Amino acid sequence: MQSRWDIGEPEKPTINKDTEQLKSELLTLNMGPQHPATHGVLRIEIWTDSEVVAHAIPHLGYLHRCMEKHAENLDYRGVIPFVDRLDYLAAMNMEWTYVAAVEKMLGTEVPRRGELIRIMTAELQRIASHLMAFGTYALDLGAFTPFLYAFEEREKILRLFEEVSGARLLYNYIWIGGVWNDWTDEQLARVSAFCDTMEEEAKKYNELVSMNKIFVQRTANVGIFSLQDCFDYGATGPVLRGSGMKWDLRKNAPYSLYSEFDFDVPVGEAELGQVGDCWNRYYVRMKEVIQSIRIIRQVLEKLEPGSVMGKVPKVIKLPKGEVYMRHECPRGELGIHLVSEGDSKQPYRLKVKSPCFTHTSMLPRIAPGQMIADFVASVGSIDIVLGEVDR
Amino acid sequence: MLNVDVNKLAELINKNVPGANATVSVPEDIKKCDSSVTVEASKIYSVVEFLKTNKEMPFNSLQVISGVDWVEWMEVCYMMAHFDLQNPREFILKVKLTDRVNPSVDSIVHHYAAANFQEREVYDMFGIRFNNHPDHRRILCPDDWQGYPLRKDYVAQKDYNGMAVYPDSKMNFEDREFIVRQDMIKKAQEAKAQ
Amino acid sequence: MSTAVEQNSSFKNYFSGLFNGISTTLKGMWITFRYVWAVKPVSIEYPEVREVLPERARMRLFNDSQNCISCTQCAMACPVDCIYIASEKLPEGSEIKKTSNGQAIRLKLTQFTIDTALCCYCGLCTTVCPTECLTHSHDYEFSQYTIDTMKYDYLAPDVKAWRDRIVKV
Repeated sequence: MQSRWDIGEPEKPTINKDTEQLKSELLTLNMGPQHPATHGVLRIEIWTDSEVVAHAIPHLGYLHRCMEKHAENLDYRGVIPFVDRLDYLAAMNMEWTYVAAVEKMLGTEVPRRGELIRIMTAELQRIASHLMAFGTYALDLGAFTPFLYAFEEREKILRLFEEVSGARLLYNYIWIGGVWNDWTDEQLARVSAFCDTMEEEAKKYNELVSMNKIFVQRTANVGIFSLQDCFDYGATGPVLRGSGMKWDLRKNAPYSLYSEFDFDVPVGEAELGQVGDCWNRYYVRMKEVIQSIRIIRQVLEKLEPGSVMGKVPKVIKLPKGEVYMRHECPRGELGIHLVSEGDSKQPYRLKVKSPCFTHTSMLPRIAPGQMIADFVASVGSIDIVLGEVDR
Repeated sequence: MLNVDVNKLAELINKNVPGANATVSVPEDIKKCDSSVTVEASKIYSVVEFLKTNKEMPFNSLQVISGVDWVEWMEVCYMMAHFDLQNPREFILKVKLTDRVNPSVDSIVHHYAAANFQEREVYDMFGIRFNNHPDHRRILCPDDWQGYPLRKDYVAQKDYNGMAVYPDSKMNFEDREFIVRQDMIKKAQEAKAQ
Repeated sequence: MSTAVEQNSSFKNYFSGLFNGISTTLKGMWITFRYVWAVKPVSIEYPEVREVLPERARMRLFNDSQNCISCTQCAMACPVDCIYIASEKLPEGSEIKKTSNGQAIRLKLTQFTIDTALCCYCGLCTTVCPTECLTHSHDYEFSQYTIDTMKYDYLAPDVKAWRDRIVKV
């Protein structure tokens, strides 16, 4: 049986007869675990033929905390801080997915204001996460300054989150039944002001990095995922959209109140390079920032005073059964498979489908034939967070 | 489940894959929980092949493979999805493995490349072997780790490569005493509540 | 690929690429150069200048042991089990005190320790506290040399002084 992805022995490089006496063999090189371009502790064993990568094997597990086992021994509320720590750059989205799974099984009604605030925080978090992706991607490719510009804007979001939830990264803000605290009018005004500045900043980033000739040369036509590859590997989020599929759960299978909102789904349109390459994946994120701003503006219009927390029993017990809930997170679709045995305070099984895990499994697919520097660009462009890969 | 009539799907599977014996499990409250389709473990390869290639209800992507340890039996859940702008679909496909000591099921890597890492993770966490998997190694735990952490009867090994796991010298016995006390309080309170 | 190479090597493309490279680089340089005078610095010189933390900021935990009724709800809500509480029955006939919000204290608190090294600052314990005696203070500078010293006993006599030092209200 021939499989589409090939992990067996790589083909030996053909040796030119004139240079046969110059025998060459593949060199094994470890990229990581502490490599600046891996966004965490990822080790990729690459076999190189001079500077061309012949084969790449990701070695995972350096950040493995056995979160799924922990969750089996915690009550449903106590899992939320652990879910935060999966993707620590987009903790709000992680929380929301888990909480939505519990709420579906519990049958809780979330008040309208609570739901709108969730959408707003999730979109703000998406912007913060994409800013981080933008900054670190430029950093991977050797540009240091954009990182600082991105952090300046990200800091404003984190400050708002800190005021409203009390923490800067791991919030425990979205609770079963609603959200912890309400936003004040002053904070909402600051969100509105942030949207205005962020639009300007996004233009600046595009001028500074996206359209820069050096950046384009490094990323365009590099690390191409075809659409068929994306389906085969189950890729989601910006990776799938970068390959030209106009798929977004918020649009195609709307959850929460997303069906009320008017926004576009950005896809890789090959303004530069070709569809599915690093540049298009990167540029989809920059376009998503603009769409998130659009959603936040609409939320601000729709917000009306009211309660943010629904009625939830003090001790949460779920009926026997299972649920698979997926949400659109900044890095792709996060899926939560929650199994309850009924009449128990703890989940029987909590499985997290992490988009980054899926995307990491795609690396061996694009590695063969790339230069090492291009491979660094490819690893950066799928924007993985190792906390989520290893769980 | 999104846009999938599980009864119709089970019928389709039964009609096209002989011996698959697809049964639908519907939860008590259909709004709260998801229903799923269980098939024979020995037929999973052809069932997945059918799901991928059929014309009526194709699934072009495998989202995740998740294992569940029900103590008496093991379960492998395949979350299938169809990325399509007009007609998106998703559903849970399950196989039951009654052999707990040496569970094994056919690998589906040849249909979905996504299954490569996912099956390795299920093997790592539950000890379920996937036949014909091209790269059957552990993925998150070290290669020489003993035991499968997410099984319900898992006990951490005492010794790993000559290093003690949870050595006494590094355990905080003072805290342990606290925890014991705390457990006692918990039990007393629960008894009181009843 | 051969056509791409031909295109790249053509005379017109060479110069347009050159022009594009120079112009985009200059644009980027201009954006960076503006930061010399047009944009104010946002960083804070930390030990000298301190950021004012928002009211809800979740830093080190503090338990006001006079208001604690030893209900152990915080210890049960804690996902990492870092709160250790022990209590005993009040001797017969002793006066029953009341907390600041009027709840009777029926147990004598003999131990209230939090292992800050384990704490994940999730805030679940403070939300379940019925008397609101367990709160997050704004103290974030408590690094220690050994892990044992991260355990804080909130019945110690000097804890009130520490609290007064942190909260300047």
